[in-house]
Amino acid sequence: MPGFVLVATFIGFGGLMHDVGFPIVAGLLSTLLVWALPAQVILVGGLGAGTSLPALALAVCLSGVRLMPMVVALMPLMRGPRPRLWRELLCAHFVAVTLWVEGFRLLPGVPEPARPVYSCGLGVGLTTLSMVGTAFGFYLTNALPGPLAVALLLLTPISFTILLVRNARQAVDWLAIALGAAISPLVANSPGGLDLFWAGVGGGTLAFLLTRYGPRRRA
Amino acid sequence: MSFYSNELTAILIVIFVGFLPNEVWRVFGVLFGRRIDENSLLMQWVRAVATALLAAVVARLVLVPSGALVALPLWLRLGAVAAGIAGFLTMRRSVLAGVLTAEAVLVIGAWWLGVG
Repeated sequence: MPGFVLVATFIGFGGLMHDVGFPIVAGLLSTLLVWALPAQVILVGGLGAGTSLPALALAVCLSGVRLMPMVVALMPLMRGPRPRLWRELLCAHFVAVTLWVEGFRLLPGVPEPARPVYSCGLGVGLTTLSMVGTAFGFYLTNALPGPLAVALLLLTPISFTILLVRNARQAVDWLAIALGAAISPLVANSPGGLDLFWAGVGGGTLAFLLTRYGPRRRA
Repeated sequence: MSFYSNELTAILIVIFVGFLPNEVWRVFGVLFGRRIDENSLLMQWVRAVATALLAAVVARLVLVPSGALVALPLWLRLGAVAAGIAGFLTMRRSVLAGVLTAEAVLVIGAWWLGVG
C-alpha cells in the first residue's frame, strides 16, 4: 500500500515535469539520484517558476535536512554486523520517507548479516518502481483527456499536503505549515527568484521564534 | 541540437542543484550520526524551515500554478485539497483515501465545468 501511494506521487511528478517542460532523462535521473520527492518538486517546480539556481540549491539543501535524522535512526537497523563505510553510504542513499517507514516495519524480521543487502534491494525496488512511475506520468499527460490530465497534476500537491498534516505533531509544525503556505503566494515572482527562500526560511523561522519566545498559553 | 544541450543542462542542474545539496545530509547522517542531538535548537529551527518550505511549494502549486492547473478556478483547486484533508482525517488517516477523495472532487468538478 505505501508502494502504491509512492508510485502515484511519482506519476504526478512525471506529469509536473511535462507541464513545465523539464526533459525526461534528467527527470528520471533526479528520481534515481535525488530520491526525495519534495526536493525534486522544489527543483522542477522552481525552474518552471523561474527561481534562480543558487536559491534553488539552498531550498533543496534545506528541504533535505529531514533526511539526516532518518538516516541516523535507521542506520543501526541497516548496517549489519560488519559495517563498511561505502555500504552504509549506499544504504543511506535509499533512505527517504517510504524506506524509513518500511525499514522499521520489515528490517527487525531480517537476519542481521542480510540487512544491508535487504535494505539496498528494497531501495532499488522502490527506486525502479518510482522511475517507471515518473516516465509513465510524463508520457501519460498527453494521452489523457483534460479532467484526468489536471488530476495528474494535483497528485503532487495533494499527497504533500496530506503528508504535512500527518506529520504535524506540535504547534510549531502547524504554524510552519500555515506561515509557509500564507507567505508563498505573497512573495511569488519576488525579485531575484528568492520566493521559496522567503516563504520557507522566513515562515519557518517565524514559526520557530513564535512558539519558542512568543506568548505562551497557560497550562 | 537544442534538445541535447537542453537535456544536458537539465542533467547538470539535477546533479549540482538537486543531488549534491540533498545527498550531503545522508552522508552527514552516516558520518556524524552518533553525535547529532536531534532536539537541539538548531535542529528544531531546521525542521520548522523544512516544513514551511514544503508548505510553500504546495501553496504555490495550488494557488499560483504555472501549467495546466490554471484552467481550473481557484475554488475548485482549494476545494479538492480541503476534501483530501477531510478524507484523510475521516477515513482512518489513510493517505490513499485522502488522495483519492481529492482527485474525485477535482475530476468531477473539472468535468462538470467542462474545463481542463
